Amino acid sequence: MDPGPARYTIRIDGHLGATMLSAFPAMVPRRHGGHTVLTGVLDRSALYGMLAEIDALGLNLLEVRRRTPQPESPPPRDSRSPSRR
Amino acid sequence: MTAAPATLRLIDRGDLLAALDRAAARKVTIISAPAGSGKTSLIRAWADRPGGPHRLAVVPVQRDQHDAQLFWLALLDGVRQATDAAGSAEPAAAMPEFNARAMVDRVLSELAEARGPLTLVIEDLHELASPGALAAELTRLLTNLPPGVHAIVSTRHDLRLRLHQLRLAGELSEIRASDLRFSERETRELLDVTGIALSEAGAALLHERTEGWAAGLRLAVISLAGHPDPERFVAEFSGSERTVGEYLLAEMLDRQRGDVQRLLLRTCLLDRVNGELADLLTGRPGSERILLDLGDANAFVVSLDPERTWFRYHHLFADLLRLELRRRRPKEVPELHRRAAGWFIEHGQVVDAIRHTQAAGDWPGAAKLLADHSFSLTLDGQTQTIQALVQAFPPGADHPELALVRAMGDLGQGHLDEAAAHLAIAETYAETAPPDRQRRLRVAIAALKLSLARRRGHLAGVIEQVRFLDSPLTGQSDEDIALGSDLRAVALLNLGTAEAWSALPDAERHLGEGAVLAREIGRPYLEVSCLAQLGLASKVRPFATTRRRNREAIALADQHGWGAEPVIAPALNSLAGALMFMGEFDEAERWLQRAERAVQTDTGPDISLLMHMAGGMLHACRGRHQQALEEFSAAEQLRSQLEGPPATAIQVTGWLLATQARLGRPGEARALLAALDDERAGCGEIRNACAVICLAEDDPAGALGAVQDVLDGTVPVIGYVTVVEAQLLAGLAHRELGDQRAASQAAERALALAEPDRTNLSRVEIASELTVSRNTVSTHIGSIYAKLGVTDRSSTVRSARSLRPLSAGQPR
Repeated sequence: MDPGPARYTIRIDGHLGATMLSAFPAMVPRRHGGHTVLTGVLDRSALYGMLAEIDALGLNLLEVRRRTPQPESPPPRDSRSPSRR
Repeated sequence: MTAAPATLRLIDRGDLLAALDRAAARKVTIISAPAGSGKTSLIRAWADRPGGPHRLAVVPVQRDQHDAQLFWLALLDGVRQATDAAGSAEPAAAMPEFNARAMVDRVLSELAEARGPLTLVIEDLHELASPGALAAELTRLLTNLPPGVHAIVSTRHDLRLRLHQLRLAGELSEIRASDLRFSERETRELLDVTGIALSEAGAALLHERTEGWAAGLRLAVISLAGHPDPERFVAEFSGSERTVGEYLLAEMLDRQRGDVQRLLLRTCLLDRVNGELADLLTGRPGSERILLDLGDANAFVVSLDPERTWFRYHHLFADLLRLELRRRRPKEVPELHRRAAGWFIEHGQVVDAIRHTQAAGDWPGAAKLLADHSFSLTLDGQTQTIQALVQAFPPGADHPELALVRAMGDLGQGHLDEAAAHLAIAETYAETAPPDRQRRLRVAIAALKLSLARRRGHLAGVIEQVRFLDSPLTGQSDEDIALGSDLRAVALLNLGTAEAWSALPDAERHLGEGAVLAREIGRPYLEVSCLAQLGLASKVRPFATTRRRNREAIALADQHGWGAEPVIAPALNSLAGALMFMGEFDEAERWLQRAERAVQTDTGPDISLLMHMAGGMLHACRGRHQQALEEFSAAEQLRSQLEGPPATAIQVTGWLLATQARLGRPGEARALLAALDDERAGCGEIRNACAVICLAEDDPAGALGAVQDVLDGTVPVIGYVTVVEAQLLAGLAHRELGDQRAASQAAERALALAEPDRTNLSRVEIASELTVSRNTVSTHIGSIYAKLGVTDRSSTVRSARSLRPLSAGQPR
């Protein structure tokens, strides 16, 4: 049940500098308060790859949100907020 | 600052060690916390302190470990090293169950034999690419640990292990990120033991900003050591909104001496590094000293061997360094990969060399390397690695060198026509290659052609290629000699296999010699290949011999982790066949299922034919003649695809005819029989089929006539099995004719042939043996079982005792 590529926004705690951002070249970064919001179109395997990368780099993941509106269902509320540190 | 960062003392985290002590009093401890939380440091500190566990088996899961078998092998190795069982252990008896299951059993039995306290540590379990597939076996291992054995598992995130039983029994403890976090007091202590003077407020600020995250604190301490103004550093750090890891890595690097910085950045692309390799990548001597100092300072560098020659960086640290390198010096990245590749190739580590050449973006170079070494890698059973390397090439880019590699992959998967097509391209390319590479390529091509001819069942083609390879090599360098031995072993493997298919007497000798040579030249995969084919070739021997040889081949394959790969399928198949002949249908079925799994990635006509034959036999044994007919028909189809055709495949035709007759279609069988040429119709196997047809036609006298030449030894047979079959058929015919005495004599002769070492048994014992299992010497016995109206051995025993269909001197 692969929903296909979709636009995701991924919220990470803290400001990602040039080094960290280079790990996510396909994503557009934006600062939002004390967080960094990364936006980009990902398919499922790219999304999981990215979550693994966030994990590997010791970053604090706050939220994952799928943005593509689905015509027949309410906007998905696919969010995760693991606790770390 | 000295050459390396100031020694980062591991502070005595007594509370945490005590927590692990309490945890380790239970059977299983799971340490689940994100990267850089200090999981490994905790385990090391706990194990190293006085009074720590006596025996420790540490099994780190390699980065991106895709191969579950390699994981189990590493686990078994780790346990064996901890228990000093390595080398002394006999290869365990081969088991029909799936490999991982057998592996877990073996690990558990080694642990049980270890007797006494032992702690098994599995580090970085999250690195397994598909932990889900492993969960069941891992759960079984953890829930069945023998007394005195404890397990500690570290992982970055929770895995789906079903450990509720342990939890309910109070035998599971968990240590999580919040437990690992440094307290403010511990942060203070860490600063103190490292000699960093920081105010209470500064220490509190540092603790708050890093949230007690071990990696962050380590990076901070390395930067702070010898810092002219630690208070300012902490204030700036706290004011920054950059992520902790990134900020501190940059600061830490900037605080290092130039040569240390240079070394860290220029070697971070490697999964492991030693002094020599680091010297090469930095262009300067003295790297080993720096690595040792970094290791002593606990600065994210750990040694991999007791001699401290190889090191690796903590994963998080390496990841951050790689990002930093790509940002600061992007143009140096390809050159670093190229240099590393050069070093690895010089030191015979081909796979690492190819990976780095690919990472350097040098695709033609990588293709060349892969083509040059694919023959050798194939002989070591690294076909999956080769496929992964081929797939890493960008799609669309055509490298003619890769045709050879693709041909090897095709051959391994049994795609014989594709293999031939790729071979043709490779041959054309080899002609244009420079002379120094040409010979190497030609040899690889000849070896492939040899294997292709063998897999097509084409004996003449095999012999032709063996002659080519037999011509002495021109050079006499070490490489030539090695190549010569490899080729000789490959030639023996293929020649022996092709001879076995053609029922030629030299088959077993050639395969045996091939196995010995392969062992001598250190090619265990090739040895397993030879032994597996030898097991199959042994089907012309007494069943006990067949069974023993196959079990030995399977045990060796299991030892190396190839127990579920196509290489061992012939032995699995042949063992199943031997067990069927001995009436052990259930066990035969389990081995056949394991063979099915082993051939999943190999769809070649040769092995598929064997699988259909064995599948048909099993159905016939259980009286399912319609299904047997389908399997034999499929096998017959495949037989016609093979060139030659191989002599042993006449068995397929014989069984197909016999099954048709048993299904009450002697007419169809007769029609097929009439279509056979004289040569094939004259074979013992077809004579036996004729006898079955006659019996189906209520013509026992005709059946006796059909098998007479087989019993007299005047017609060719592929092995003694055919003669045993003929004896049993004669027995059945005599019984139909009412001559019970002759029937018993025939059965006794069959038994004597099948199990020559049992002939000294008393007549009574023979009689009971006959009615139990020893007379189940062929698929024809299926018909006996069917007549008895039974389908398995135990009920046959009962029925047989009451009916005694072939028993000596007992009138019905």
